[in-house]
Amino acid sequence: MIKLSVFLFFSLLFLPHSLWATDLQALVRKVEQQYMGLSSKSRMEMSIRSEHWERSLVMDSWSLGRDHFLVRIIEPSKERDVTTLKVDNQVWNYLPKVDRVIKVPPSMMGGAWMGSHITNDDLVKANKIDEEYSFTLLEETKEHLLIECIPKPEAAVVWGKIIYEILLPLEVPGTVAYFDEEMIKVRELIFDETQKIDERMIPLRMRIQPTDNPEERTIIRYSELDFNIGIEKSFFSLRNLKR
Amino acid sequence: MTMLLRLASRNLWRNRRRTLLTLSAMVVSLALLTLSLGVFSGMLVDILSSTTEQYHGHLVINASGYLDDRDMYKNFTADPELLQALQQDKAVRGVSERLRGFGLVSHAESSYPAELLGIRPEHEKSVTKLHTQLIAGIFPTDTDSAGAVLGSSLAQKLGVSPGDELIFVTQAADGSIGNDLLTVRAIFRTGHTGHDNGLVLVPQQWLQEVMALKGKVHEVALAVEDPLLAAEDAKRLATLLPAGLIATDWGELMPEMREAIASFDVSRFIFVIILYFATGLGILNTIFMSVMERSREFGILMALGLRPRQIRLIVLLESLLLGMLGTILGLVVGLLLSSYMSLVGFDLSAWITPVSYAGGTIQPRLRAIFELRNFIDPAYMLLLVSLLAGFLPARRAAKLQPVAAIRED
Repeated sequence: MIKLSVFLFFSLLFLPHSLWATDLQALVRKVEQQYMGLSSKSRMEMSIRSEHWERSLVMDSWSLGRDHFLVRIIEPSKERDVTTLKVDNQVWNYLPKVDRVIKVPPSMMGGAWMGSHITNDDLVKANKIDEEYSFTLLEETKEHLLIECIPKPEAAVVWGKIIYEILLPLEVPGTVAYFDEEMIKVRELIFDETQKIDERMIPLRMRIQPTDNPEERTIIRYSELDFNIGIEKSFFSLRNLKR
Repeated sequence: MTMLLRLASRNLWRNRRRTLLTLSAMVVSLALLTLSLGVFSGMLVDILSSTTEQYHGHLVINASGYLDDRDMYKNFTADPELLQALQQDKAVRGVSERLRGFGLVSHAESSYPAELLGIRPEHEKSVTKLHTQLIAGIFPTDTDSAGAVLGSSLAQKLGVSPGDELIFVTQAADGSIGNDLLTVRAIFRTGHTGHDNGLVLVPQQWLQEVMALKGKVHEVALAVEDPLLAAEDAKRLATLLPAGLIATDWGELMPEMREAIASFDVSRFIFVIILYFATGLGILNTIFMSVMERSREFGILMALGLRPRQIRLIVLLESLLLGMLGTILGLVVGLLLSSYMSLVGFDLSAWITPVSYAGGTIQPRLRAIFELRNFIDPAYMLLLVSLLAGFLPARRAAKLQPVAAIRED
């Protein structure tokens, strides 16, 4: 028993300093925020392949901090101007065909967004990883860090755990694996095409890969990306949603 | 034999008051039994028709597997030839093809999840009775391009009335956000919480366009002549269907309803037995008393050469005659009472509201329906009971010793 305690004590002492949980949290936050800047404007292409459809969309999006986000469809023309606004925990869609704004109710938050493998819930929760999870380091090599994220007891999240890979030395996300409450892997986000934009290292492409169906996937790729564009909170209003 | 029959009937009328009392007990129990079984059946038919004629139809045809998860991709083309072939079946009374969609219905600031049934109004009317349960508005016609009929609770939550606008948003089959406008035409109230809360009838073509499922349907709902034979109809109709489509009757759609009907059959049987046990004791009493009174008489008949077997026969004939008379009169009175209850009925809506049970709705009314076995079963059981009740006294009479019996006063 004493032997064991001594062993534990020493192994704790020898843990590298950078691996303490608070530092991991700061690191994850930094990686996550890299995308955002204070504000951003981007044009992206989303291509979706699922069991029943293949479609690709071109969208413009604006963001301010973590809690304000607006995205508008440019193509295909049938869906042009369909717009999604996220403010804090709420999501609205503007539908030009009926010229109405519909607030997504809680029961529909798990539904697919624009027919992709992203849910409305992802839009709301995606950028809160560092707040709602606690972190432990699983593996550290020269190429990457593997961090296990377990939801805090009080966090209202849908995942059982997330395994977050941060690529070194750039400190950009590599692969993020999502597990359900039974700890079965459900999907992976895979980031690549990292480029330097406005002094930030940004992976321009993200693939969402559902685990149970390898044929399906959603790919989002930035074709334009600008940071710190001086946008106001008032931009993210229901009025602007309609344009 | 004729002589025995004459003896029996004369004996029966010897103590007129006692016989009439027993007879009236038989008549009343048989008449009330047929009446209550008829009302019971009426209630059951109400529940059954509320579930089938408000929503499912008596049987539905779907792509196999559709009923498990209502996957919108398990659809098929409603081939006009198939619909016609179904229509021509001898048991089929109505055919309605439908497309189903789940999504969000909203008006002004409020949105609620709902189930949309894309129908053709004239076809739907032949299968379900929602058009008779409107509390506001007019049921749309086939030419209406975007008219909606929705449940009362949903309409109340959304705050809409006929003429108001609705927006429907759903995930279409091509991955896009399907959305379009509807105009409320009518509001129904069925008493079924689920339907009143979340069912919306819309034009089929409109829904096909919104969901990007042109020309497709999810089911064909059928109404048949006798709902209780729907399972057999489903088997027969299955031969008409192309591969990949299956027919399912209401019993499979709603097993709890089938259970309810099976348990009705059992409780009906128990009901009959309890009531007849009392009636049987009455008959037993009458016959026993008349046998005891006539010991001397039976002794003399035996002394005159009648066999014990014939004595027994006389007594049995007496109770059988009584039973037959009771059955005939009871049936007549029961028939009269039942036809009153089926023509006029009894409205309870002032005291109770509709009750949901086993997936159906019990309407607040008492109404009898005619079902042959509700008359036949109690009738032959009454005959059986009167024979059984005659059996003990008959045996006693046959065992009498002539000499001892004659000496008895």
